[in-house]
Amino acid sequence: MARQSSKKSAGRGKNARPRRSLSRRLLPYLLLIATAGAAALALYMAHLDHEVRAKFEGTRWKLPAKVYASPLELYAGLDVSQKQLVERLDRQGYRRATNIDESGTYNPNGAGLSIHTRSFQFWNGTQDDRQIRLRFDGNGVAALKAVDGEGDLALIRLDPQLIGSIYPNKGTDRILVKLGEVPPMLPAGLITVEDRHFMSNWGISPRGILRAAVADLKAGAIVQGGSTLTQQLVKNFYLDNQQTLTRKGKEALMAILLDAHYSKEEILEAYLNEVYLGQDGSRAIHGFGLASYFYFQKPVQELQPAEIALLVAMVKGPSYYDPRRHPERARARRDLVLNMFHDAGFLETDAWKQAKSRDLGVTGSAARGNTQYPAFIDLVKRQLKGQYKDADLTEEGLRVFTTLDPMVQATAEQQVAGGLDRVEKQRGIKADTLESAAVVTSIEGGNVLALVGGREQGYAGFNRALEAQRQIGSLMKPVDYLTAMTQPAKFNPITPLDDSPLAVKLATGKTWRPGNYSNRSHGDNVPTYYALEHSLNIASSRLSLAVGIPNIIDTLGKLGFQGDAPAVPSLALGSISMSPLEVAQIYNTIATGGYYTPLRAIKDVTTREGEPLSRYPLKLNQTVDPGPAYITTWMMERVARYGTGAGMYRTIDNNKDMAGKTGTTNNLRDAWFAGFGGNRLGVVWVGRDDNQPAKLTGATGALPIWSNIMADIGTRGIVDTPPDSVAEVPLQLIFDPDGVNQGAGADPGRWFAGGQSCSNAVKVPFVKGFVPQGLLSCDTDIMRVNAQQNAPAGRSNDSTRERDSEQGSWFERIF
Amino acid sequence: MKRFSVIAAAGLLIAGCASSPPGSGPRPQPQRAPQPNGQTQPLPPSQRPQQVPAERGGASTARQSQRQARPQQPAPPQTAAEVSSPAVMSLMGRADTLASSGHMDDAAATLERALDLEPRNPFIYQRLAAVRLAQGEAGQAEQLANKSNSVAGDNPFVEADNWELIAEARKAAGDTRGADAASTKAVNYQRSTSQYSQ
Repeated sequence: MARQSSKKSAGRGKNARPRRSLSRRLLPYLLLIATAGAAALALYMAHLDHEVRAKFEGTRWKLPAKVYASPLELYAGLDVSQKQLVERLDRQGYRRATNIDESGTYNPNGAGLSIHTRSFQFWNGTQDDRQIRLRFDGNGVAALKAVDGEGDLALIRLDPQLIGSIYPNKGTDRILVKLGEVPPMLPAGLITVEDRHFMSNWGISPRGILRAAVADLKAGAIVQGGSTLTQQLVKNFYLDNQQTLTRKGKEALMAILLDAHYSKEEILEAYLNEVYLGQDGSRAIHGFGLASYFYFQKPVQELQPAEIALLVAMVKGPSYYDPRRHPERARARRDLVLNMFHDAGFLETDAWKQAKSRDLGVTGSAARGNTQYPAFIDLVKRQLKGQYKDADLTEEGLRVFTTLDPMVQATAEQQVAGGLDRVEKQRGIKADTLESAAVVTSIEGGNVLALVGGREQGYAGFNRALEAQRQIGSLMKPVDYLTAMTQPAKFNPITPLDDSPLAVKLATGKTWRPGNYSNRSHGDNVPTYYALEHSLNIASSRLSLAVGIPNIIDTLGKLGFQGDAPAVPSLALGSISMSPLEVAQIYNTIATGGYYTPLRAIKDVTTREGEPLSRYPLKLNQTVDPGPAYITTWMMERVARYGTGAGMYRTIDNNKDMAGKTGTTNNLRDAWFAGFGGNRLGVVWVGRDDNQPAKLTGATGALPIWSNIMADIGTRGIVDTPPDSVAEVPLQLIFDPDGVNQGAGADPGRWFAGGQSCSNAVKVPFVKGFVPQGLLSCDTDIMRVNAQQNAPAGRSNDSTRERDSEQGSWFERIF
Repeated sequence: MKRFSVIAAAGLLIAGCASSPPGSGPRPQPQRAPQPNGQTQPLPPSQRPQQVPAERGGASTARQSQRQARPQQPAPPQTAAEVSSPAVMSLMGRADTLASSGHMDDAAATLERALDLEPRNPFIYQRLAAVRLAQGEAGQAEQLANKSNSVAGDNPFVEADNWELIAEARKAAGDTRGADAASTKAVNYQRSTSQYSQ
């Protein structure tokens, strides 16, 4: 071959001889020009070559940190129904199938559910994919067993949902994939649709360029690309989006260079990761790895033919063929692409027909990327800020494992939005004027399970859960009462409080006159628990002043409040602004029995390869004595059962003990409810952004939303385990400010007739060693009545009691 | 040497603090019965003839007398297996394996998974306390052991082990007097377990 051609050229040379003299004279000049041209070209090529290689081989992609929800643990005893679990699997892109040979599939049958889980790299190593079968009963998962012969399982984690990325403003986002791990149909399809001669061309396609050039000349402008995959990669990779002739030339040269330096496989893999496939707000979706999650919530390995075809179809114009905004257009092009797959021979007729019959199958706009949980991602970013540089977060592909529970989050969002619509309608409030925020935590562990920043989901605006600083009103009272319970010599749940009008001269010269919401007094010996139960402002103010405002501020700090609290009497009634998250922290500490556990949104951060970087382990600090914390919780359970929070039992199972407190601020500006069951704590705020009156109380505005959330997420009841430092005394709680003799009736003696057998008694907790003098089992909650009963006329053995009964109250009045 | 004993103590707990030896001698009542102090003065019997003095002072007194009346009351759980689900047992087993091979952080993370499942299981807190102690985090160890006590209810078996752990933690932190006090409590709880021995 070589010899032949040399002969040929030799022959040609001979024939050219007669004209040699002229050309000989010109030759040096021609050579000079040619050499100069070649040298310039060579220099330019060398420059481009350097550019091409540096970029291709250097750090090619900045990888935003990936944020994951907490994984769902599957085990016998999990209180999740088959329906709920299937919904969850669907949301995570699991495919319903008749067999579960492939990972990422499930198959429901009767009361059972078979799942082939995905393998996943957790913070503590990789959990392999497994095939399991679950059996359900009325309570949830009744049994779990492995069906893959790989050994027994007591529990297994589902792969956690990818809930977002941390990318720079106006940034690109991607998940890297390797050519070897994508379904073969993806690269094959790409080549078929975008660049048939990819495997054999030199990076450019002369025919394509010619065709495009003709079209451009006709139109008088550049209208056609005619690009190979290599050219497309170069365009995305190295060049801006200008369309000029010189740029086209540069693109072609770079494509040739790229093709010369790198294998087809390397170029294809780069293309798979680079190609632009959609937009999510300010986030650009690049590469098939992320697109697979963005559109289908699943790893690229699990893509089905119809899904592959859709993604390949979108390469031509990701916004024009956006399956969420233009589903018909997208479907037409997908079907066209499926036809090409079929014609090219790698999609069998049956599979082709089946694929064409499929819906687009993209997850709803609610289930995508960062816009899905902006409030929570915001919290995650804030927690990471102190420890990582921005560049670490946006470029290194870190993996962030969070505490978000997608089911709880979805419920909270729904209930906030639905609850506001409902209350606006019911109360004739102008539509869309109310706003809200909600926080749900796990209590023990301090995990933030859900965070709602406003009624409009997926809107990354003002994050009210973190940023709204609103007066907390009566949400403050449990802090007052908790502080009081830490002074057990002075206060216990039945200490009589004076609720008659109060005026306090302030240092400023003004007089502070707290008033009750009902504008009336409830007498001068209201049992303490009752004052909290019904949120009596005057009695609570007196209690707080006796306890000492500085001591209350001290308690706030112990509960985890890090802001400044004003040392004024009105603090007792909540003249302090907090965010819903700050309220959640304070109440969480009460709910744990006095163990301050910093609320956390993140548990672990690892490198892209899975090496642990930071761990945010459980940290406890007992800052409040368990006795007072227990007694306060007991009183808050009364609020929920009989007081201002009682409306919750219209929604919540009557057998479950819950604790909580309503909060309403001046002129009905803010409506709050904060409370907890055994394993979940919730805080809900409702109000207006412009701080105008919302015309709602805590009970009418926030409590219905709170109750719906807590009921829907299956919150357990409180398990009352009194700590060692608490003594319980069964008492008859009869106090009623409107009743005859405050509820004792005309003949108080009847309450004592039963002696020890008082079946209607309630176990009232006291700090051990501080049960009031002479208080007996089956006494009432009205100390005056007890004292009268226990000190019959003429007896004077117990002088203390006698004196008390003469005064009508054993407790020395404070004011 | 000190470090060694701490790890040994932690290892002991991880290995299964299950079977506490029975108390040395019979005691009529558990140490933790309410101690009347100056604030709780029973009325002279004459003031309330229908009342028996022993029952004054509230329910804990009643509970105590109940206990005396019915010595065959079922014993509280002595091992994690009695109150934990198979899932939690599996995680605790895994945590033990990780801890015994020195992977303390992973052991702790695994125990936290167990806590997410059963947030009021005293045995999980106890093991987490042991892991923290083995890591030299005496403060957290004591907090976690206290937390275990707070969710243990009336369980001298668990509480005895927790106080032993607290004694170790205090010793490790250089608080000898505190350690002695904790040891005494541990011994007392240990003794009060005898009420459940056959």
